[in-house]
Amino acid sequence: MALQITSMADIFIILLVFILKSFSSGGASINPTPGMELAEAGNTKEQVEALNMEISELAIQVDNKPVTPMKAFRFIASDLKESGISNSLDSALEAQREKQKIISGANSDVEADSKILVIADARTPYKTIKSALTSAAIHGYSDFKLVVKKKE
Amino acid sequence: MNIGDGGSGGKPGQDFDLNLAPIIDCFTVLITFLLASASYLAVGILDSNLAVEGVASAENKKKPPAIRLDINLAENYAIDIKVSGKGKMNKTIPASEEGWNRDALLSEIQGIQQRWPDTKSAVITAGDDVAYLNVIKIMEIIRPKLPSILLGGL
Repeated sequence: MALQITSMADIFIILLVFILKSFSSGGASINPTPGMELAEAGNTKEQVEALNMEISELAIQVDNKPVTPMKAFRFIASDLKESGISNSLDSALEAQREKQKIISGANSDVEADSKILVIADARTPYKTIKSALTSAAIHGYSDFKLVVKKKE
Repeated sequence: MNIGDGGSGGKPGQDFDLNLAPIIDCFTVLITFLLASASYLAVGILDSNLAVEGVASAENKKKPPAIRLDINLAENYAIDIKVSGKGKMNKTIPASEEGWNRDALLSEIQGIQQRWPDTKSAVITAGDDVAYLNVIKIMEIIRPKLPSILLGGL
C-alpha cells in the first residue's frame, strides 16, 4: 500500500508559508543571552533596526560581541575611568560610530544613526545602566530604545 | 498524481505519479531549520532620550515647556518629585506596601499637569542600586500621562 503523502505536502506548504510570513513581518530579531531576565512592560512600540547593546550579569555585548567583562552586573574597577565610564565599552562604541561614519561618508543615502537598542537585564543596578548609556551618548547614540518583554 | 488518461491512440500513456517524497524531505528540513532559528520572545521597545542640562529634547525645541519635572526613585521605594523652571515644587511620595506608590504618583502628575498643562515630559533618575526593572515600571506607569521620558543622572 502506497503512503498518501499529497495531503502531507499540502500541510507542509501551508506551514512554510506561515513561518516565512511571520519572519518577514517580525522586524529585527532580538535574541537575549540565555538566563537574562528582561523587564516586562505593556504599551510598547515595535522593534527597530539599530546597533544593539546588551547588558547582562557577566558582560556587555555591543553588536552581539562581548566587549566588557562584568561582575554581578557591575563594571570591574580596573576597566573604569575616573568619570565612571568603562574603557572597553567606550572603545567598542567608538569603533561602531567610526564604522557608521565611514559608511555614511561613502554613501550619501545613509546617515549616522543616533538610535541604540538597550537590552538590559531587569536586575541591573541603575549605576551600571547610567554608565553604559553615558558611554553611548558620548558617541552620539542618544536615542535609547529600551528593549522589554511585551506584557501578555 | 494522475494527470490525464493518455488517450487510446497507442501512444505512450501520460499517467505517472509525481514522487513527493524528496519534496517532503526538503520541506521537513526547511521547517525544522526555520523553527529552530525562530525567536519566540515577544519584545517591544520603550523610547527614551538623554536628559542633559541646558539641551532641549527634540520635542521641546519649538516651545520649551514652562517647567521641568524630575522624578527620582530611591532605593527605599520613595519617589521624589521636583518641579523647576517657571514653577517650583518638591514632594516626596513614601513607599506603599506593594513598593512604588503608583496611585499617589499618578495623582501628583495629574495635579502638576493641571497647574502646568504643557507638561508632557519628565526626567527619570534613580539611586545607584535601584534595579533597572523599577525604572521600567515607573516609565510604564507615567507614560500614558507623560509620553516623552528622558533618563537623567547621566
